[in-house]
Amino acid sequence: MRGVHTLLIIYAILLIVGLTVPGMWQPVAFLMFYVALGQAFNIFLGLTGYVDFGYVAFLALGSYGMAIAMDSLYQTGLGAAILPIGLLLAALMSIMLSLAVGAVALRLRGAYFAIATIGVNEGFRYLIEGARLWGGSEGIIITGAMRKIFGREMANFISTMVADVLVFGIGLLAALTTYVIIHKRMGYALMAIREDEDAARVMGINVTKYKIMAFITSAFFAGLIGASAWTLKMTYVFPSDVFLITYTVEAIVIVMLGGAGTLLGPVVGGITYGLLKYYLSVILPGFQLLILAPLLVAIVVAFPEGIVGYLKERVRGTRFEGYIL
Amino acid sequence: MLLKVEDVTKRFGGLVAVDSVSFEIKEGEAFGIVGPNGSGKTTLYNMISGVYQPDSGRIIFDGRDITDLPAHARAPLGIGRTFQIPRPFPSATVRENVAVGAMFGRAQADVKEAMEISDYYIELVGLSEQANKAAGTLTPLEKRLMELARALAMKPRLLLLDEVMAGMNPKDIGNIIELLQKVRQEEKIAVVAMVEHLMHAITKFAERVMVMHQGRKLLEGPTMEVLNDERVIEVYLGKKIREGAEGAEGHRT
Repeated sequence: MRGVHTLLIIYAILLIVGLTVPGMWQPVAFLMFYVALGQAFNIFLGLTGYVDFGYVAFLALGSYGMAIAMDSLYQTGLGAAILPIGLLLAALMSIMLSLAVGAVALRLRGAYFAIATIGVNEGFRYLIEGARLWGGSEGIIITGAMRKIFGREMANFISTMVADVLVFGIGLLAALTTYVIIHKRMGYALMAIREDEDAARVMGINVTKYKIMAFITSAFFAGLIGASAWTLKMTYVFPSDVFLITYTVEAIVIVMLGGAGTLLGPVVGGITYGLLKYYLSVILPGFQLLILAPLLVAIVVAFPEGIVGYLKERVRGTRFEGYIL
Repeated sequence: MLLKVEDVTKRFGGLVAVDSVSFEIKEGEAFGIVGPNGSGKTTLYNMISGVYQPDSGRIIFDGRDITDLPAHARAPLGIGRTFQIPRPFPSATVRENVAVGAMFGRAQADVKEAMEISDYYIELVGLSEQANKAAGTLTPLEKRLMELARALAMKPRLLLLDEVMAGMNPKDIGNIIELLQKVRQEEKIAVVAMVEHLMHAITKFAERVMVMHQGRKLLEGPTMEVLNDERVIEVYLGKKIREGAEGAEGHRT
Protein backbone atom coordinates (compact mmCIF):
# COMPACT_ATOMS: atom_id res chain seq x y z
CA MET A 1 0.00 0.00 0.00
CA ARG A 2 2.99 2.34 0.49
CA GLY A 3 3.24 2.96 -3.23
CA VAL A 4 -0.32 4.29 -3.15
CA HIS A 5 0.63 6.61 -0.26
CA THR A 6 3.34 8.22 -2.38
CA LEU A 7 0.82 8.63 -5.18
CA LEU A 8 -1.77 10.24 -2.92
CA ILE A 9 0.83 12.62 -1.45
CA ILE A 10 1.81 13.87 -4.92
CA TYR A 11 -1.85 14.35 -5.79
CA ALA A 12 -2.53 16.18 -2.51
CA ILE A 13 0.40 18.55 -3.10
CA LEU A 14 -0.86 19.35 -6.61
CA LEU A 15 -4.36 19.95 -5.34
CA ILE A 16 -3.25 22.17 -2.43
CA VAL A 17 -0.95 24.25 -4.66
CA GLY A 18 -3.70 24.65 -7.24
CA LEU A 19 -6.36 25.68 -4.74
CA THR A 20 -4.37 27.90 -2.38
CA VAL A 21 -1.82 29.71 -4.56
CA PRO A 22 -3.62 32.39 -6.59
CA GLY A 23 -3.43 31.86 -10.34
CA MET A 24 -2.05 28.34 -10.00
CA TRP A 25 -5.25 26.39 -10.72
CA GLN A 26 -4.91 26.53 -14.51
CA PRO A 27 -1.19 25.52 -14.55
CA VAL A 28 -2.00 22.63 -12.20
CA ALA A 29 -4.94 21.62 -14.40
CA PHE A 30 -2.58 21.74 -17.39
CA LEU A 31 -0.26 19.28 -15.62
CA MET A 32 -3.15 17.13 -14.44
CA PHE A 33 -4.29 16.59 -18.02
CA TYR A 34 -0.90 15.09 -18.87
CA VAL A 35 -0.82 13.04 -15.68
CA ALA A 36 -4.30 11.63 -16.35
CA LEU A 37 -3.46 10.99 -20.02
CA GLY A 38 -0.34 9.09 -18.96
CA GLN A 39 -2.18 7.12 -16.33
CA ALA A 40 -4.94 6.03 -18.72
CA PHE A 41 -2.41 5.08 -21.43
CA ASN A 42 -0.17 3.29 -18.93
CA ILE A 43 -2.89 0.69 -18.33
CA PHE A 44 -2.42 -0.40 -21.93
CA LEU A 45 1.12 0.57 -23.00
CA GLY A 46 2.70 0.10 -19.59
CA LEU A 47 1.03 -3.16 -18.63
CA THR A 48 1.00 -4.95 -21.99
CA GLY A 49 4.04 -3.43 -23.70
CA TYR A 50 1.97 -2.77 -26.83
CA VAL A 51 2.08 0.67 -28.49
CA ASP A 52 -1.21 2.05 -29.81
CA PHE A 53 -0.57 4.89 -32.26
CA GLY A 54 -4.29 5.52 -32.58
CA TYR A 55 -4.81 6.10 -28.88
CA VAL A 56 -6.04 9.70 -29.21
CA ALA A 57 -9.10 8.38 -31.09
CA PHE A 58 -10.44 7.15 -27.71
CA LEU A 59 -10.15 10.64 -26.22
CA ALA A 60 -11.69 12.08 -29.38
CA LEU A 61 -14.67 9.71 -29.30
CA GLY A 62 -15.12 10.49 -25.61
CA SER A 63 -15.24 14.18 -26.34
CA TYR A 64 -17.81 13.53 -29.07
CA GLY A 65 -19.86 11.42 -26.66
CA MET A 66 -20.15 14.33 -24.25
CA ALA A 67 -20.88 16.84 -27.02
CA ILE A 68 -23.57 14.62 -28.57
CA ALA A 69 -25.26 14.16 -25.19
CA MET A 70 -25.30 17.91 -24.49
CA ASP A 71 -26.31 18.84 -28.04
CA SER A 72 -29.19 16.40 -28.36
CA LEU A 73 -30.56 16.41 -24.80
CA TYR A 74 -30.46 20.08 -23.75
CA GLN A 75 -34.14 20.60 -24.60
CA THR A 76 -35.38 17.51 -22.76
CA GLY A 77 -35.38 19.10 -19.32
CA LEU A 78 -33.10 16.45 -17.87
CA GLY A 79 -31.02 19.31 -16.47
CA ALA A 80 -27.82 18.54 -14.66
CA ALA A 81 -28.34 14.78 -15.20
CA ILE A 82 -27.07 15.35 -18.74
CA LEU A 83 -23.52 15.63 -17.36
CA PRO A 84 -23.33 12.03 -16.06
CA ILE A 85 -25.21 10.86 -19.16
CA GLY A 86 -22.55 12.58 -21.25
CA LEU A 87 -19.75 10.86 -19.33
CA LEU A 88 -21.51 7.53 -19.75
CA LEU A 89 -21.94 8.02 -23.50
CA ALA A 90 -18.29 9.11 -23.77
CA ALA A 91 -17.10 5.97 -21.98
CA LEU A 92 -19.42 3.79 -24.04
CA MET A 93 -18.26 5.16 -27.38
CA SER A 94 -14.59 4.74 -26.46
CA ILE A 95 -15.20 1.20 -25.24
CA MET A 96 -17.04 0.29 -28.45
CA LEU A 97 -14.13 1.55 -30.53
CA SER A 98 -11.61 -0.29 -28.37
CA LEU A 99 -13.59 -3.51 -28.79
CA ALA A 100 -13.71 -3.09 -32.55
CA VAL A 101 -10.02 -2.20 -32.87
CA GLY A 102 -8.91 -4.70 -30.24
CA ALA A 103 -10.81 -7.66 -31.65
CA VAL A 104 -8.98 -7.25 -34.95
CA ALA A 105 -5.63 -5.61 -34.18
CA LEU A 106 -4.80 -7.28 -30.85
CA ARG A 107 -4.44 -10.60 -32.63
CA LEU A 108 -1.34 -9.08 -34.18
CA ARG A 109 2.02 -9.08 -32.43
CA GLY A 110 4.08 -6.11 -31.22
CA ALA A 111 5.11 -3.89 -34.12
CA TYR A 112 2.34 -5.21 -36.39
CA PHE A 113 -0.22 -4.04 -33.88
CA ALA A 114 1.40 -0.60 -33.72
CA ILE A 115 1.29 -0.27 -37.51
CA ALA A 116 -2.33 -1.42 -37.69
CA THR A 117 -3.40 1.22 -35.17
CA ILE A 118 -1.85 4.16 -37.03
CA GLY A 119 -4.77 4.18 -39.44
CA VAL A 120 -7.51 4.20 -36.79
CA ASN A 121 -7.10 7.82 -35.80
CA GLU A 122 -6.83 9.34 -39.29
CA GLY A 123 -9.48 6.98 -40.63
CA PHE A 124 -12.00 8.06 -38.04
CA ARG A 125 -11.27 11.74 -38.56
CA TYR A 126 -11.83 11.52 -42.32
CA LEU A 127 -14.93 9.41 -41.79
CA ILE A 128 -16.44 12.18 -39.64
CA GLU A 129 -15.39 14.94 -42.02
CA GLY A 130 -16.16 13.09 -45.24
CA ALA A 131 -19.49 11.56 -44.22
CA ARG A 132 -20.45 14.80 -42.45
CA LEU A 133 -21.06 12.73 -39.33
CA TRP A 134 -21.71 14.66 -36.09
CA GLY A 135 -21.41 18.05 -37.78
CA GLY A 136 -18.55 16.98 -40.05
CA SER A 137 -15.57 19.31 -40.09
CA GLU A 138 -17.61 22.07 -38.40
CA GLY A 139 -17.78 19.91 -35.29
CA ILE A 140 -20.25 20.37 -32.45
CA ILE A 141 -20.44 23.59 -30.47
CA ILE A 142 -22.19 23.20 -27.13
CA THR A 143 -21.58 26.64 -25.56
CA GLY A 144 -25.26 27.54 -25.97
CA ALA A 145 -26.52 24.11 -24.94
CA MET A 146 -24.49 24.21 -21.73
CA ARG A 147 -25.86 27.66 -20.85
CA LYS A 148 -29.42 26.42 -21.40
CA ILE A 149 -28.83 23.34 -19.25
CA PHE A 150 -26.86 24.80 -16.34
CA GLY A 151 -27.35 28.56 -16.60
CA ARG A 152 -24.57 31.01 -17.56
CA GLU A 153 -22.81 31.07 -14.17
CA MET A 154 -22.81 27.34 -13.66
CA ALA A 155 -21.77 26.66 -17.27
CA ASN A 156 -18.74 28.90 -16.73
CA PHE A 157 -17.95 27.17 -13.47
CA ILE A 158 -18.11 23.77 -15.18
CA SER A 159 -15.65 24.90 -17.88
CA THR A 160 -13.17 26.54 -15.55
CA MET A 161 -13.37 24.28 -12.51
CA VAL A 162 -15.53 21.14 -12.69
CA ALA A 163 -13.91 19.91 -15.91
CA ASP A 164 -10.46 20.11 -14.30
CA VAL A 165 -11.60 18.43 -11.09
CA LEU A 166 -13.07 15.63 -13.20
CA VAL A 167 -9.77 15.16 -15.03
CA PHE A 168 -8.04 15.12 -11.66
CA GLY A 169 -10.40 12.43 -10.35
CA ILE A 170 -10.27 10.33 -13.53
CA GLY A 171 -6.46 10.33 -13.38
CA LEU A 172 -6.52 9.21 -9.77
CA LEU A 173 -9.08 6.50 -10.52
CA ALA A 174 -6.96 5.25 -13.43
CA ALA A 175 -3.91 5.07 -11.15
CA LEU A 176 -5.79 3.16 -8.45
CA THR A 177 -7.13 0.81 -11.12
CA THR A 178 -3.55 0.21 -12.26
CA TYR A 179 -2.58 -0.60 -8.68
CA VAL A 180 -5.42 -3.10 -8.31
CA ILE A 181 -4.68 -4.76 -11.68
CA ILE A 182 -0.96 -5.12 -10.91
CA HIS A 183 -1.72 -7.07 -7.75
CA LYS A 184 -4.33 -9.37 -9.24
CA ARG A 185 -3.99 -12.41 -11.51
CA MET A 186 -4.63 -10.07 -14.44
CA GLY A 187 -1.50 -8.10 -13.52
CA TYR A 188 0.62 -11.24 -13.50
CA ALA A 189 -0.88 -12.35 -16.81
CA LEU A 190 -0.06 -8.97 -18.39
CA MET A 191 3.46 -9.07 -16.95
CA ALA A 192 3.98 -12.50 -18.52
CA ILE A 193 2.61 -11.28 -21.87
CA ARG A 194 4.88 -8.23 -21.79
CA GLU A 195 7.95 -10.31 -20.99
CA ASP A 196 7.43 -13.33 -23.25
CA GLU A 197 4.14 -13.79 -25.03
CA ASP A 198 4.83 -17.32 -26.30
CA ALA A 199 5.91 -18.59 -22.90
CA ALA A 200 2.85 -16.90 -21.36
CA ARG A 201 0.58 -18.77 -23.77
CA VAL A 202 2.11 -22.15 -22.90
CA MET A 203 1.70 -21.31 -19.19
CA GLY A 204 -2.06 -21.19 -19.79
CA ILE A 205 -2.59 -17.46 -20.27
CA ASN A 206 -5.23 -16.43 -22.78
CA VAL A 207 -3.13 -13.58 -24.13
CA THR A 208 -5.74 -12.05 -26.46
CA LYS A 209 -8.30 -11.91 -23.66
CA TYR A 210 -6.01 -10.12 -21.23
CA LYS A 211 -4.71 -7.70 -23.85
CA ILE A 212 -8.28 -6.76 -24.80
CA MET A 213 -9.20 -6.33 -21.12
CA ALA A 214 -6.33 -3.88 -20.62
CA PHE A 215 -7.18 -2.14 -23.89
CA ILE A 216 -10.83 -1.60 -22.92
CA THR A 217 -9.94 -0.34 -19.43
CA SER A 218 -7.44 2.09 -20.90
CA ALA A 219 -9.92 3.29 -23.54
CA PHE A 220 -12.62 3.78 -20.89
CA PHE A 221 -10.47 6.28 -19.00
CA ALA A 222 -9.33 7.95 -22.23
CA GLY A 223 -12.95 8.55 -23.21
CA LEU A 224 -13.71 10.18 -19.86
CA ILE A 225 -10.63 12.40 -20.15
CA GLY A 226 -11.65 13.52 -23.65
CA ALA A 227 -15.17 14.32 -22.45
CA SER A 228 -13.93 16.39 -19.50
CA ALA A 229 -10.67 17.98 -20.57
CA TRP A 230 -11.82 18.86 -24.06
CA THR A 231 -15.61 19.08 -24.44
CA LEU A 232 -16.55 20.40 -21.01
CA LYS A 233 -13.56 22.73 -20.83
CA MET A 234 -13.65 24.11 -24.39
CA THR A 235 -17.44 23.74 -24.92
CA TYR A 236 -16.85 22.63 -28.51
CA VAL A 237 -15.42 19.68 -30.47
CA PHE A 238 -13.71 19.99 -33.86
CA PRO A 239 -12.37 16.86 -35.55
CA SER A 240 -9.15 18.67 -36.51
CA ASP A 241 -8.54 19.48 -32.82
CA VAL A 242 -9.24 16.14 -31.21
CA PHE A 243 -7.89 13.61 -33.72
CA LEU A 244 -4.37 14.95 -33.35
CA ILE A 245 -1.62 12.34 -33.32
CA THR A 246 0.43 14.79 -31.19
CA TYR A 247 -1.55 13.69 -28.14
CA THR A 248 -0.74 10.03 -28.78
CA VAL A 249 2.95 10.90 -29.06
CA GLU A 250 2.76 12.96 -25.87
CA ALA A 251 1.08 10.05 -24.08
CA ILE A 252 3.85 7.68 -25.21
CA VAL A 253 6.53 10.16 -24.09
CA ILE A 254 4.92 10.63 -20.67
CA VAL A 255 4.64 6.90 -20.01
CA MET A 256 8.17 6.11 -21.24
CA LEU A 257 9.67 9.09 -19.44
CA GLY A 258 8.03 8.25 -16.13
CA GLY A 259 8.45 4.48 -16.36
CA ALA A 260 6.14 2.15 -18.28
CA GLY A 261 4.12 -0.22 -16.14
CA THR A 262 4.92 1.56 -12.88
CA LEU A 263 2.25 3.15 -10.68
CA LEU A 264 4.04 6.48 -10.17
CA GLY A 265 5.54 6.67 -13.66
CA PRO A 266 2.70 8.56 -15.37
CA VAL A 267 2.49 11.06 -12.49
CA VAL A 268 6.22 11.80 -12.59
CA GLY A 269 6.30 11.67 -16.41
CA GLY A 270 3.20 13.85 -16.78
CA ILE A 271 4.44 16.52 -14.40
CA THR A 272 7.97 16.51 -15.85
CA TYR A 273 6.72 16.70 -19.41
CA GLY A 274 4.08 19.32 -18.61
CA LEU A 275 6.57 21.56 -16.77
CA LEU A 276 9.17 21.26 -19.53
CA LYS A 277 6.63 22.11 -22.19
CA TYR A 278 5.15 24.98 -20.19
CA TYR A 279 8.40 26.70 -19.23
CA LEU A 280 10.01 26.23 -22.62
CA SER A 281 7.02 27.90 -24.25
CA VAL A 282 7.42 30.82 -21.81
CA ILE A 283 11.20 31.19 -22.08
CA LEU A 284 11.65 30.37 -25.76
CA PRO A 285 8.25 30.64 -27.42
CA GLY A 286 8.11 28.80 -30.69
CA PHE A 287 11.26 26.80 -30.00
CA GLN A 288 9.85 24.49 -27.36
CA LEU A 289 9.53 21.43 -29.58
CA LEU A 290 13.01 21.93 -31.02
CA ILE A 291 14.47 21.78 -27.52
CA LEU A 292 12.00 19.35 -26.00
CA ALA A 293 12.56 16.60 -28.56
CA PRO A 294 16.34 16.15 -28.07
CA LEU A 295 15.94 16.66 -24.33
CA LEU A 296 13.42 13.82 -24.19
CA VAL A 297 15.66 11.60 -26.31
CA ALA A 298 18.49 12.26 -23.86
CA ILE A 299 16.32 11.43 -20.85
CA VAL A 300 15.00 8.24 -22.40
CA VAL A 301 18.55 7.17 -23.31
CA ALA A 302 19.79 7.91 -19.79
CA PHE A 303 16.80 6.21 -18.12
CA PRO A 304 15.55 3.48 -20.44
CA GLU A 305 13.29 2.19 -17.67
CA GLY A 306 11.94 5.71 -17.07
CA ILE A 307 12.54 7.91 -14.06
CA VAL A 308 10.45 5.78 -11.71
CA GLY A 309 11.83 2.54 -13.12
CA TYR A 310 15.35 3.83 -12.46
CA LEU A 311 14.52 4.92 -8.90
CA LYS A 312 12.79 1.61 -8.23
CA GLU A 313 16.04 -0.22 -9.04
CA ARG A 314 18.05 2.16 -6.86
CA VAL A 315 15.90 1.71 -3.75
CA ARG A 316 15.60 -2.06 -4.07
CA GLY A 317 16.63 -3.56 -0.75
CA THR A 318 16.60 -0.23 1.13
CA ARG A 319 13.91 0.94 3.52
CA PHE A 320 12.38 3.12 0.80
CA GLU A 321 11.50 0.00 -1.17
CA GLY A 322 7.75 -0.17 -1.60
CA TYR A 323 7.28 3.60 -1.57
CA ILE A 324 8.30 3.68 -5.20
CA LEU A 325 6.09 1.40 -7.23
CA MET B 1 -3.93 -43.73 -21.20
CA LEU B 2 -2.98 -40.11 -20.45
CA LEU B 3 -1.65 -39.03 -23.83
CA LYS B 4 -2.24 -40.55 -27.23
CA VAL B 5 -0.41 -39.13 -30.20
CA GLU B 6 -1.95 -40.61 -33.34
CA ASP B 7 -0.19 -40.46 -36.67
CA VAL B 8 0.89 -36.84 -36.29
CA THR B 9 2.65 -35.01 -39.15
CA LYS B 10 4.07 -31.49 -39.30
CA ARG B 11 5.64 -29.90 -42.37
CA PHE B 12 7.56 -26.65 -42.65
CA GLY B 13 7.54 -25.87 -46.35
CA GLY B 14 9.20 -28.84 -48.01
CA LEU B 15 10.67 -30.17 -44.78
CA VAL B 16 8.74 -32.86 -42.95
CA ALA B 17 9.75 -32.15 -39.34
CA VAL B 18 7.56 -34.86 -37.84
CA ASP B 19 6.41 -37.70 -40.09
CA SER B 20 3.35 -39.71 -38.97
CA VAL B 21 4.49 -40.36 -35.42
CA SER B 22 2.31 -42.28 -32.96
CA PHE B 23 2.97 -43.10 -29.32
CA GLU B 24 1.23 -43.27 -25.97
CA ILE B 25 2.08 -42.20 -22.46
CA LYS B 26 0.53 -43.77 -19.39
CA GLU B 27 -0.39 -41.87 -16.26
CA GLY B 28 2.56 -41.27 -13.95
CA GLU B 29 5.01 -42.80 -16.38
CA ALA B 30 8.67 -41.83 -16.79
CA PHE B 31 9.13 -41.62 -20.54
CA GLY B 32 12.20 -40.64 -22.54
CA ILE B 33 12.41 -39.25 -26.05
CA VAL B 34 15.85 -39.43 -27.58
CA GLY B 35 17.12 -38.47 -30.96
CA PRO B 36 19.82 -36.45 -32.65
CA ASN B 37 19.52 -32.74 -33.35
CA GLY B 38 16.82 -32.06 -35.94
CA SER B 39 15.04 -35.37 -35.45
CA GLY B 40 11.73 -33.63 -34.68
CA LYS B 41 11.69 -33.86 -30.89
CA THR B 42 11.00 -30.20 -30.18
CA THR B 43 8.40 -29.98 -32.96
CA LEU B 44 6.62 -32.90 -31.33
CA TYR B 45 6.62 -31.04 -28.00
CA ASN B 46 5.33 -27.91 -29.69
CA MET B 47 2.40 -29.85 -31.09
CA ILE B 48 1.56 -31.48 -27.76
CA SER B 49 1.71 -28.16 -25.90
CA GLY B 50 -0.22 -26.33 -28.65
CA VAL B 51 2.43 -24.01 -30.06
CA TYR B 52 1.93 -25.63 -33.49
CA GLN B 53 -1.10 -27.37 -34.94
CA PRO B 54 -0.24 -30.64 -36.70
CA ASP B 55 -0.94 -30.86 -40.44
CA SER B 56 -2.56 -34.22 -39.89
CA GLY B 57 -3.13 -36.70 -37.10
CA ARG B 58 -4.72 -36.36 -33.69
CA ILE B 59 -3.58 -35.66 -30.14
CA ILE B 60 -5.76 -37.08 -27.37
CA PHE B 61 -5.19 -36.02 -23.77
CA ASP B 62 -7.05 -37.82 -21.02
CA GLY B 63 -9.65 -39.09 -23.48
CA ARG B 64 -10.25 -35.67 -25.01
CA ASP B 65 -9.23 -34.63 -28.53
CA ILE B 66 -7.07 -31.54 -28.01
CA THR B 67 -5.68 -31.31 -31.55
CA ASP B 68 -7.42 -28.00 -32.29
CA LEU B 69 -7.21 -26.54 -28.77
CA PRO B 70 -5.05 -23.39 -28.43
CA ALA B 71 -1.99 -23.57 -26.17
CA HIS B 72 -3.53 -21.51 -23.36
CA ALA B 73 -6.44 -23.93 -23.10
CA ARG B 74 -4.15 -26.96 -22.80
CA ALA B 75 -2.16 -25.83 -19.78
CA PRO B 76 -5.22 -25.79 -17.47
CA LEU B 77 -5.95 -29.39 -18.51
CA GLY B 78 -2.60 -30.37 -17.06
CA ILE B 79 0.08 -30.06 -19.72
CA GLY B 80 3.22 -28.31 -18.51
CA ARG B 81 6.54 -27.87 -20.29
CA THR B 82 9.97 -26.31 -20.19
CA PHE B 83 11.89 -24.88 -23.14
CA GLN B 84 15.20 -25.99 -24.61
CA ILE B 85 16.46 -22.42 -24.31
CA PRO B 86 14.92 -21.25 -21.01
CA ARG B 87 12.29 -18.55 -21.38
CA PRO B 88 11.89 -16.83 -18.03
CA PHE B 89 9.94 -13.60 -17.62
CA PRO B 90 13.25 -11.79 -17.15
CA SER B 91 12.43 -8.68 -15.15
CA ALA B 92 10.01 -10.44 -12.78
CA THR B 93 11.41 -12.20 -9.72
CA VAL B 94 11.88 -15.97 -9.57
CA ARG B 95 9.01 -16.11 -7.11
CA GLU B 96 6.67 -14.24 -9.47
CA ASN B 97 7.76 -16.38 -12.41
CA VAL B 98 6.90 -19.60 -10.64
CA ALA B 99 3.68 -18.09 -9.25
CA VAL B 100 2.47 -17.40 -12.81
CA GLY B 101 2.63 -21.15 -13.42
CA ALA B 102 0.48 -21.79 -10.36
CA MET B 103 -2.05 -19.13 -11.34
CA PHE B 104 -2.74 -20.16 -14.92
CA GLY B 105 -1.84 -23.85 -15.09
CA ARG B 106 -4.01 -26.66 -13.76
CA ALA B 107 -3.69 -25.27 -10.23
CA GLN B 108 -5.64 -22.08 -11.19
CA ALA B 109 -4.54 -20.55 -7.86
CA ASP B 110 -5.31 -17.04 -6.68
CA VAL B 111 -2.38 -14.71 -6.03
CA LYS B 112 -1.87 -15.62 -2.38
CA GLU B 113 -2.09 -19.40 -2.95
CA ALA B 114 0.16 -19.08 -5.99
CA MET B 115 2.89 -17.46 -3.89
CA GLU B 116 2.74 -20.33 -1.41
CA ILE B 117 2.89 -22.92 -4.20
CA SER B 118 5.74 -20.94 -5.71
CA ASP B 119 7.75 -20.96 -2.48
CA TYR B 120 7.27 -24.71 -2.16
CA TYR B 121 8.61 -25.55 -5.61
CA ILE B 122 11.40 -22.97 -5.45
CA GLU B 123 12.63 -24.71 -2.33
CA LEU B 124 12.22 -28.11 -3.96
CA VAL B 125 14.52 -27.19 -6.86
CA GLY B 126 16.91 -25.44 -4.46
CA LEU B 127 16.50 -21.82 -5.56
CA SER B 128 15.27 -20.34 -2.27
CA GLU B 129 18.19 -17.95 -2.07
CA GLN B 130 17.43 -16.59 -5.52
CA ALA B 131 13.66 -16.27 -4.94
CA ASN B 132 13.61 -12.46 -4.94
CA LYS B 133 16.13 -11.98 -7.73
CA ALA B 134 15.04 -10.94 -11.21
CA ALA B 135 14.84 -14.16 -13.25
CA GLY B 136 16.89 -12.58 -16.05
CA THR B 137 19.91 -12.36 -13.74
CA LEU B 138 20.06 -16.11 -13.04
CA THR B 139 22.76 -18.38 -14.45
CA PRO B 140 21.66 -20.64 -17.33
CA LEU B 141 21.55 -23.59 -14.96
CA GLU B 142 19.42 -21.70 -12.44
CA LYS B 143 17.08 -20.64 -15.25
CA ARG B 144 16.53 -24.31 -16.11
CA LEU B 145 15.70 -25.09 -12.50
CA MET B 146 13.38 -22.09 -12.34
CA GLU B 147 11.56 -23.29 -15.45
CA LEU B 148 11.21 -26.71 -13.89
CA ALA B 149 9.73 -25.14 -10.73
CA ARG B 150 7.41 -23.00 -12.86
CA ALA B 151 6.18 -26.03 -14.80
CA LEU B 152 5.69 -28.05 -11.58
CA ALA B 153 3.74 -25.17 -10.02
CA MET B 154 1.22 -25.59 -12.84
CA LYS B 155 0.34 -28.92 -11.17
CA PRO B 156 0.55 -30.72 -14.50
CA ARG B 157 -0.48 -34.30 -15.15
CA LEU B 158 1.94 -34.43 -18.05
CA LEU B 159 5.28 -32.67 -17.76
CA LEU B 160 7.33 -32.21 -20.92
CA LEU B 161 10.98 -31.48 -20.22
CA ASP B 162 13.09 -30.17 -23.07
CA GLU B 163 16.79 -30.89 -22.42
CA VAL B 164 16.35 -29.96 -18.79
CA MET B 165 19.56 -31.74 -17.82
CA ALA B 166 21.78 -30.30 -20.57
CA GLY B 167 24.91 -28.64 -19.26
CA MET B 168 24.61 -30.14 -15.80
CA ASN B 169 27.37 -32.10 -14.07
CA PRO B 170 26.72 -35.75 -13.08
CA LYS B 171 25.94 -34.77 -9.48
CA ASP B 172 23.31 -32.20 -10.55
CA ILE B 173 21.83 -34.70 -12.98
CA GLY B 174 21.57 -37.23 -10.16
CA ASN B 175 19.76 -34.67 -8.01
CA ILE B 176 17.34 -33.70 -10.78
CA ILE B 177 16.49 -37.33 -11.52
CA GLU B 178 15.85 -37.94 -7.84
CA LEU B 179 13.62 -34.84 -7.70
CA LEU B 180 11.70 -35.91 -10.80
CA GLN B 181 11.10 -39.40 -9.42
CA LYS B 182 9.85 -37.84 -6.18
CA VAL B 183 7.29 -35.51 -7.80
CA ARG B 184 6.29 -38.24 -10.22
CA GLN B 185 5.38 -40.55 -7.40
CA GLU B 186 3.96 -37.96 -4.99
CA GLU B 187 1.88 -36.05 -7.51
CA LYS B 188 1.31 -38.75 -10.14
CA ILE B 189 2.81 -36.71 -12.94
CA ALA B 190 3.80 -38.41 -16.17
CA VAL B 191 7.24 -36.99 -16.91
CA VAL B 192 8.62 -36.94 -20.42
CA ALA B 193 12.30 -36.12 -20.72
CA MET B 194 13.76 -35.29 -24.10
CA VAL B 195 17.50 -35.58 -24.58
CA GLU B 196 19.96 -35.48 -27.39
CA HIS B 197 23.11 -36.88 -25.79
CA LEU B 198 22.55 -37.72 -22.13
CA MET B 199 21.96 -41.45 -22.61
CA HIS B 200 23.33 -42.24 -19.21
CA ALA B 201 20.79 -39.95 -17.57
CA ILE B 202 17.93 -41.38 -19.60
CA THR B 203 18.81 -44.95 -18.63
CA LYS B 204 18.62 -43.93 -14.99
CA PHE B 205 15.38 -41.98 -15.42
CA ALA B 206 13.07 -43.48 -18.03
CA GLU B 207 11.09 -46.71 -17.92
CA ARG B 208 10.39 -46.55 -21.62
CA VAL B 209 11.97 -44.56 -24.41
CA MET B 210 11.16 -43.59 -27.95
CA VAL B 211 13.96 -42.93 -30.43
CA MET B 212 13.35 -40.36 -33.15
CA HIS B 213 15.31 -40.08 -36.36
CA GLN B 214 14.70 -37.64 -39.22
CA GLY B 215 11.16 -36.89 -38.10
CA ARG B 216 10.15 -40.53 -37.76
CA LYS B 217 9.78 -42.86 -34.84
CA LEU B 218 12.64 -45.33 -35.09
CA LEU B 219 11.88 -47.49 -32.10
CA GLU B 220 9.95 -47.51 -28.85
CA GLY B 221 10.13 -49.81 -25.84
CA PRO B 222 11.83 -50.57 -22.52
CA THR B 223 14.83 -48.26 -22.11
CA MET B 224 17.79 -50.64 -22.04
CA GLU B 225 16.40 -52.83 -24.78
CA VAL B 226 15.86 -49.89 -27.13
CA LEU B 227 19.15 -48.14 -26.49
CA ASN B 228 21.09 -51.35 -27.17
CA ASP B 229 19.28 -51.99 -30.42
CA GLU B 230 21.50 -52.08 -33.47
CA ARG B 231 19.42 -49.57 -35.42
CA VAL B 232 19.65 -47.05 -32.57
CA ILE B 233 23.39 -47.46 -32.27
CA GLU B 234 23.60 -46.89 -36.00
CA VAL B 235 21.68 -43.59 -35.81
CA TYR B 236 23.83 -42.29 -33.02
CA LEU B 237 27.26 -43.59 -33.97
CA GLY B 238 27.06 -43.99 -37.68
CA LYS B 239 27.64 -47.24 -39.56
CA LYS B 240 31.37 -46.86 -39.71
CA ILE B 241 31.94 -47.59 -36.06
CA ARG B 242 31.64 -51.29 -36.76
CA GLU B 243 33.79 -51.05 -39.83
CA GLY B 244 36.60 -48.95 -38.46
CA ALA B 245 37.48 -46.45 -35.74
CA GLU B 246 37.87 -43.34 -37.97
CA GLY B 247 34.10 -42.84 -38.45
CA ALA B 248 33.54 -42.20 -34.76
CA GLU B 249 35.04 -38.72 -34.78
CA GLY B 250 32.57 -35.90 -34.31
CA HIS B 251 30.02 -38.18 -32.71
CA ARG B 252 30.14 -38.85 -29.03
CA THR B 253 27.62 -40.45 -26.76
